[in-house]
Amino acid sequence: MRIVKLYFPSFSFILLFSLIICSSISAQTIVPIQKDGAIINEQKKSSSPTFIKFIGDHVSLFGAIDFAKQSLNDKGITAPINYLYSAVNNNAYKPGYVGGFRIDPISKSKYSYSFSMAFNRIATGTYYQNKYTYPPYISDYTHFKADHVFTTLSIAAHVKKMVFRDNAAKYKFYVVAGPSFDYKISNLSNEQLINGAGNRSIINGDLGAEFNNKGYYTLFAHYKLGTNLFQSSVSVQLNRFEIGMSIRAKDLF
Amino acid sequence: MKKRYNLFFAFWLLISMTACNKELDSTSHDVMYTMLVNKNWYLDYSITGNGTQAFVGQSTYFITYLKDGTTKDSDGLTGTFSIQKANNNYEIQVTAKTVNGNSVNYTHTIETIGEGTMIQSYTASGQTTKTKLYFTSK
Repeated sequence: MRIVKLYFPSFSFILLFSLIICSSISAQTIVPIQKDGAIINEQKKSSSPTFIKFIGDHVSLFGAIDFAKQSLNDKGITAPINYLYSAVNNNAYKPGYVGGFRIDPISKSKYSYSFSMAFNRIATGTYYQNKYTYPPYISDYTHFKADHVFTTLSIAAHVKKMVFRDNAAKYKFYVVAGPSFDYKISNLSNEQLINGAGNRSIINGDLGAEFNNKGYYTLFAHYKLGTNLFQSSVSVQLNRFEIGMSIRAKDLF
Repeated sequence: MKKRYNLFFAFWLLISMTACNKELDSTSHDVMYTMLVNKNWYLDYSITGNGTQAFVGQSTYFITYLKDGTTKDSDGLTGTFSIQKANNNYEIQVTAKTVNGNSVNYTHTIETIGEGTMIQSYTASGQTTKTKLYFTSK
């Protein structure tokens, strides 16, 4: 029961997520599969200045391994609580995993774009920037203990710039950048909620590289630097590396 | 395509609106209560001004706070306790009786509390200097 609550705490998220998924699926069934030439014609017909159309060929599923570390400044905590610093501090990257789908619409501009939505099971090492003492007998403690395992639902919008293309082999290398947003959907512990520290929203800046093999699959490596979206008594800096692979949904199903 | 943009926008709006997660008033209280109860807290040091009494390694005073809101200590006091917030401080209020049945009420300020260490303070009647009690749980 706890596991169910942890992963699916909100019916509204499931509803909305399902809505988007269903919408993607219906688009794939309505729009017939088109060849490259047809896609080009479609581009010419479009009145959109940038994007042409989301079609089945450009919806991919992806999975990734994620390494994360968070850095906390708990200066804003006033509750008289102490945690032994050596017990809670762990200045290291911890592995988690990510799964989701992405859409790579065709673009007429020299930049292309991708939109993604994902579930992220994040485990983090946690670095506490501040140590406190209560002389003469208590030393090296923190006022705050952060959750170091949590689940987020994320959306991202990335700009992709092709930096290398092998026309013979049809390999493409991209540099990608853009914002992403994470919303914590797992329960927050009481410790995490102390003094209004429990902000669920994280805004990230993403930077990465992608390798596309003939459109069949894409290997990617992304770095995400995140922070609280809203003001909090504990400022959080979340660093993440994602290494993963996306495959066209059409090839999977 | 426009429909899809609207869906993304709606999703963004929904999570933005629900993103403000304010602390419940009871959160700090609950965390402290969890740290406090079902342990024996042994007095290691008592400090009043510059005077320090150390009890480490000795048979010393201890007090237990139980989850059901009752308390008992090594002096034979039994009764009830509660954590209250007053003037931005958290206090433990104890209402107890001695082994002879006499009522004893006292209030100590929680200076800090953790899983293994707790400091309480109080100012004895007729005194101006605060006394701090350093406890560890075992």
